Amino acid sequence: MKDFLLILRTEGNVWTDLSPEQLQHHIKNGGAYIGRLIKEGKLKSANPVDKGSRIVTSANGALKDGPFNESKEVIAGYFLIQADDIDEAVEIAKANPIFNDISTRIEVHPMMPIGG
Amino acid sequence: MMTSEPRISQLVDHLFRHESGRLVAVLTRIFGIENLELAQDVVQDALVEAIHHWQYKGVPDNPSAWLFRVAKNKAVNQINRDRKKTHCSSDVMHYLQSRWTVEPALEHFFSEEEIRDNMLRMIFACCHPAISSDSQIALALRTLCGFSISEIARAFLTTDENITKRLVRARKSIRNDNVAFEIPAGVELEKRLDAVLETAYLLFNEGYSASNGNEVIRYELCEEAIRLVQIIAGSNMIQFRENVFGLLALMYLNASRFKARLDEKGNILTMAQQDRSKWDASLREKGLACLNQAGKDNKIGFYHLLAGISASHCLAPHYKDTDWQGILYLYDCLVNIDSSPVILLNRAIAVCNVWGPEKAIEEIRQIENIPSLKNYHLLYSTMAEFYFQSKQYSKAADCLETSIRLTSVLAEKEMLQTRLDSCKIS
Repeated sequence: MKDFLLILRTEGNVWTDLSPEQLQHHIKNGGAYIGRLIKEGKLKSANPVDKGSRIVTSANGALKDGPFNESKEVIAGYFLIQADDIDEAVEIAKANPIFNDISTRIEVHPMMPIGG
Repeated sequence: MMTSEPRISQLVDHLFRHESGRLVAVLTRIFGIENLELAQDVVQDALVEAIHHWQYKGVPDNPSAWLFRVAKNKAVNQINRDRKKTHCSSDVMHYLQSRWTVEPALEHFFSEEEIRDNMLRMIFACCHPAISSDSQIALALRTLCGFSISEIARAFLTTDENITKRLVRARKSIRNDNVAFEIPAGVELEKRLDAVLETAYLLFNEGYSASNGNEVIRYELCEEAIRLVQIIAGSNMIQFRENVFGLLALMYLNASRFKARLDEKGNILTMAQQDRSKWDASLREKGLACLNQAGKDNKIGFYHLLAGISASHCLAPHYKDTDWQGILYLYDCLVNIDSSPVILLNRAIAVCNVWGPEKAIEEIRQIENIPSLKNYHLLYSTMAEFYFQSKQYSKAADCLETSIRLTSVLAEKEMLQTRLDSCKIS
């Protein structure tokens, strides 16, 4: 088993862009999907991103921080999962029902294990 | 809806007994076993809230579901509001700290399947060899069976303080010995399962042995012991269950005679004196079914043999019909597995019925000097019975006097006294 970080980027925001019925639908399906991963022991953690992100950059040797400017694409949140290999991690990402609700891209990053 | 107070507290008591063990097991899975006490406190809080709410708003249609919902909310609050106060090593805490996972995680952990597995984990944790046996039983009754501290104290004829101490000791052992909240695997499982069954057997016997204690509570101890073994018997995670079914059979069969053990005045009745129409046929049937299950793999274990002996008694329509030959055979098999003095003592009773009292007295002579039996009142009352039957009344009287001196149970003293009186006129 290896860890994989899944970063979810959506165009727009489910909380503001979906109708109440759509949102309810979204929560129900997303819950079932996450519940399945928990039951199978594949989910380490998952969190949605809250408002108020900032970004720290270094310029001319000095660190500065400012608001994280998102384009029309926003980081909706992350999943830290366990899978046998990248293919399984990709399948898990593909099964996310969020694709049905809003335009979404999921990045699948393998995490480097100790000694790896 | 108007519901009077006593009815609510009765309902809550009932609900508490049934649901608290399940809730505590799940919350322990979530908080980690080092926070066992916290899990109990959360369940207690949920109960208190239920009583308050139901007193004003009436009892909901599904009180269990209501209670579970309150407990879930309290668990989430505990973890999120008191984040700093709750130190948990549990690997699942963070599920309850994220909006995406909190609801699915609660649904998962409170599912029937998870509840069952966690009850089983809790049984293994409570019966961990690191915990002393009297503390194991107190802990099992408190966490798994939802007994209050005073109920446990009443059941064991001791003080609340004493039980509290045992519980503190038990929780300390869990922390110090890093008792894991998991079902052991492989060879370890077999060993640990034996310890679990032994604790359940002790708990059952605690309830079954007649004493000055309240009969209702005594019967409940037996029921709880049965419930714990049922959980183990129902789990697919445990592969070799012949001992489990053997013990369950023994418990059902003995419990089927529970209500006939005493007369209306609370005097102890011997097997010969009991009104067999008071024996519970449905428990007997359950016992026989388990006995059948226990024998499926042709391995005969300790509990299985004891259950076989109990079944022989249960199946005799009258005392005179008892199959003593069969019982003696089972005792002979038993002695090969466990030749402890108490087993040998009981075997002597079968010997008496098959070969006569003189032969039985010879058997007893071989064990009467074993230190663990020296102060065991049943050794002397059994011996008295053999002397009585062989018409050696003065020796019988001596033994009865010793037995009366050694027992602390009033009902037993009285039974022995009656016997002593009949010795003197014989």
